Amino acid sequence: MPDSTPLTETDARHLLRRTGFGAPADHVTAAIGRTRGAVVTELLAFRPQGFKPGGKTPTLLAAKWLKFMLKAKSPLQEKLVLFWHDHFATGISKVIIPSLMGLQNQLFRRHCRGDFRTLMKAVNVDPAMVEFLDTARNEKTIPNENYARELMELFTLGVNDENGAPNYLQEDIVQIARAFTGWRRSNKAATFNTTTHDFNAQFEGPPENRGPKDVFKSTGGFGASGIRYAGSGSPFAEGSTEIDAIVDILLAHTDTDGKVTVARRLARRLIEYFAHPEPALAYVDDVVATSGVATSWDLTALLHQIFVHDDFYLSSLPAGAGTKKSVKWPADFVITSLRMLKGKLVGRESSVRGGEFRGLADHMSNMGQILFDPPSVFGWDWETGWLSSATLLARYTFASDLAASSGNNGVKLLKLLDLDDPAANAGAVVDAVTDVFGVTADLTTAERAAMIDYLTDGSPATPVDLTVYEVREKKVSGLLCLVMQSPAYQVH
Amino acid sequence: MVITRRQFLQRTSLATAGTLLGPGLFANPLIRRAFADTIGDRYFVIVYLDGGNDGVNTVVPVDNGGGSLRTDYDFARSSLNLSPGDLATTLIGTDPNTGAQLGLHPGFRGFAGKPGFGGFKSLWDDGHLAVIQGCGYPEYSLSHDVSKVAWQTGDPLATGAGGGSGWVGRFLADPSQGYLPGDIPGVSIAERIVPELRQAATSVLAVQRLEDFGFPYDRRWDAGLDDDRPAKRAAFLDMHTAAAGATHPTLHYIGTSGGVTLQSSENFPQVGAAYDADPARKIFGDQYDDGHGGGIRRGLARDLREVAKIIYGVDQGIYSGVNARFFQVTNRGYDTHSGQGAGESDGQHFTLHATVGASLKLFFDDVADMLGSPDKLCVLVWSEFGRRVKQNGNGTDHGSQAPMFVVGAGPTFQGGVYGNHPNIAQSAWDDEGNTEYRQDGAGGFRSTDFRDVYGTVFKHWLNMPSGLIAPGVLPIDGGSASFYWTAPDFDVPFFA
Repeated sequence: MPDSTPLTETDARHLLRRTGFGAPADHVTAAIGRTRGAVVTELLAFRPQGFKPGGKTPTLLAAKWLKFMLKAKSPLQEKLVLFWHDHFATGISKVIIPSLMGLQNQLFRRHCRGDFRTLMKAVNVDPAMVEFLDTARNEKTIPNENYARELMELFTLGVNDENGAPNYLQEDIVQIARAFTGWRRSNKAATFNTTTHDFNAQFEGPPENRGPKDVFKSTGGFGASGIRYAGSGSPFAEGSTEIDAIVDILLAHTDTDGKVTVARRLARRLIEYFAHPEPALAYVDDVVATSGVATSWDLTALLHQIFVHDDFYLSSLPAGAGTKKSVKWPADFVITSLRMLKGKLVGRESSVRGGEFRGLADHMSNMGQILFDPPSVFGWDWETGWLSSATLLARYTFASDLAASSGNNGVKLLKLLDLDDPAANAGAVVDAVTDVFGVTADLTTAERAAMIDYLTDGSPATPVDLTVYEVREKKVSGLLCLVMQSPAYQVH
Repeated sequence: MVITRRQFLQRTSLATAGTLLGPGLFANPLIRRAFADTIGDRYFVIVYLDGGNDGVNTVVPVDNGGGSLRTDYDFARSSLNLSPGDLATTLIGTDPNTGAQLGLHPGFRGFAGKPGFGGFKSLWDDGHLAVIQGCGYPEYSLSHDVSKVAWQTGDPLATGAGGGSGWVGRFLADPSQGYLPGDIPGVSIAERIVPELRQAATSVLAVQRLEDFGFPYDRRWDAGLDDDRPAKRAAFLDMHTAAAGATHPTLHYIGTSGGVTLQSSENFPQVGAAYDADPARKIFGDQYDDGHGGGIRRGLARDLREVAKIIYGVDQGIYSGVNARFFQVTNRGYDTHSGQGAGESDGQHFTLHATVGASLKLFFDDVADMLGSPDKLCVLVWSEFGRRVKQNGNGTDHGSQAPMFVVGAGPTFQGGVYGNHPNIAQSAWDDEGNTEYRQDGAGGFRSTDFRDVYGTVFKHWLNMPSGLIAPGVLPIDGGSASFYWTAPDFDVPFFA
């Protein structure tokens, strides 16, 4: 049973790294030999922290969240909130009002490992979402399809199922858009306006009679007459009951394999986020089956099964033939590095202490991740989509900023090094630096050799004397920079 | 099956794994080698209108001609319609099918009193603008994501040919083009490499601003005896050269990209500085945005200035590794579900069109002045779909076909109106309220497959033999080809 399999050192490091920001050595040591199930249960039992990022500008909002992320007691909660932020991608460039984005972040925080059905229903009436996908402008005379489309395409079903068959048709979008007519928002909540709602009984909805509120006549396993989501009178009340009913129907939708469509898709996306791209279908179906998520919609149960599954540990070995690796998100790259180096942030814009005063949100924006402003409703492009010459250069720049801070009351690298002998051999110094990041086992032989060459100016046999100022300040901080710039450090 | 964007990107990265950029990649960056002579000394720029541009209000019937286009237009666009008066200053040719007089959205002239004014209308008057109407593809998707991938891969029915790489990327990777590992034939002015340039065997750069593209070294150790840069550079290159030879696809990708990034960061900023320092260029450069409140001052204009700088560098021929011929820029904001506006100059759609018209006009003039003639330049403008025929409130929902534009010059280029205006009569709308994509020519409303436009560029601008284009670069659907795409001849006559 995967649940009772003891964690090896490599697996423990992988589990802690993927469910948090970096794996501190003492945490790894404590987890070795314990069962996957026991450690995962503990990780998922985090005490949720309520936090509402505030600030007048998008940059300040992001800076606040990053500062919180760096200190957060439950990094897994932050990772989950990041996931939902991408899944329900909402951008401040359209929402405009920062406090709405703060509210949404709070909502994700509350439901991040709870019940997906509840989360989805809450997102329907989240004021930032109501604004972002035009529910606020959806009324019976001019039904707006924007939310209905993304609700199916991105938030729940996906365009196609695992066999490439469509999960819904345009007519379903039109029908579901009707359910969301009449919804408006205040700065706190969504409100229902009966005068602009397309009531089924009215049948007045121009431009043409849209008929009874039926959906999924062709897909979803509901049969040829589809399923009705609202009508006149109980039990078909309209308004909030109606949009809740939509979610219930979406969660009952089955694909061409007869499996619950949303459960499979949710499992796949969470696996892709926490483990690796292109997981085997068996991994997806296993965790759906063992977690019971298709009926309970319990995200904790689903996450538990994802983290204890054998396939999760396919990515724990260093990148090599046959191993699966995932590219670190900019948030992960930045926060993990800072956490492992015990870096500090200063100022309103959360700059690296001792660094060049560029705010963390700026660094991350150049890396291609502007928190609270994903590029579109599709969220960010993961994996190699994160990497281009421009975004790589931004990662190298952050590395350089962090390294340079060591001379200016920033990162105290020498203190972090676990080195008794000040005149150690070059390999030991390099290993001590990579140990600080917890990536010694992940670097390739070529990377380690390049670092030793760098440290010794091409004479690897020369002992390294850390009492010499120039060696200490120039070369050790240079090593720090090279570790973060190394190819292996970009993946996990 | 239809692939999602995420699968598309993943597949592309896997495709990248199949290539080999060995240590030779970084061996001697100082040798400038002529690129394959298929594009020769020419340039190709792709402009993406992100969000689905409303084609109905882009090229507009002014009258009915021999049909009912104007009447149908006024019916569908009860308040977003552009009046004949609105269109009076932007008249272009007539619709080849109905004979209706056509006008461009007045925004395409640009911003009154600002650089680039005249915009597309000036380019049209000088014979530099081809308008290709009714572009789309069979079984169109109304999803931004799916449709964007269809256009970016050039594979709308997702046959999977080319492993999901981009249509230009696949072209660059074709052996006929002769690119070698380490060549940088293309640049996206973006933080990401845009999917149409993604490819398997060559390297494409993403750059936002050349001036910020220098490699970050620790300033404490960058001079004299303490200079740590050579040692750090060597270590960086050793690590990335090794990774470039790795079998793991992601490591391989990072190794090659990182190596190319370092190399380019040493050359491309110089090119930007040289452009800025050349008084003849500065006259144009300031018109994009002079940094003091003057100029077009739009993101697209600034991005095109970066393209102009790189072209300048290539033309100078003194910067190693700077020999890019393919570029991509994006203008955002076309998803006008609400607040689209019609011809009013403070409307969203007006601003979007004015930005494109003015920026491309200025860019065209800049490049023409720089190279002594515009004959080496070709620009293609596309969007993932058009918008619903009938307006919805003050906006429009996702639709099917829309016009494409090609800006060109030289002896083989012929400006004009190509392809037919879609049939926008209510009786012709499909179940979704969109114009139908059709190749059977009923009523003369034959649609244009966007691949025919791509293919025409390949064949006539990039000199690729048509036998190599299909199915090698632009996959043709299997059995249903005759229904969907009757004439993959790649001879839309904007290039003769």
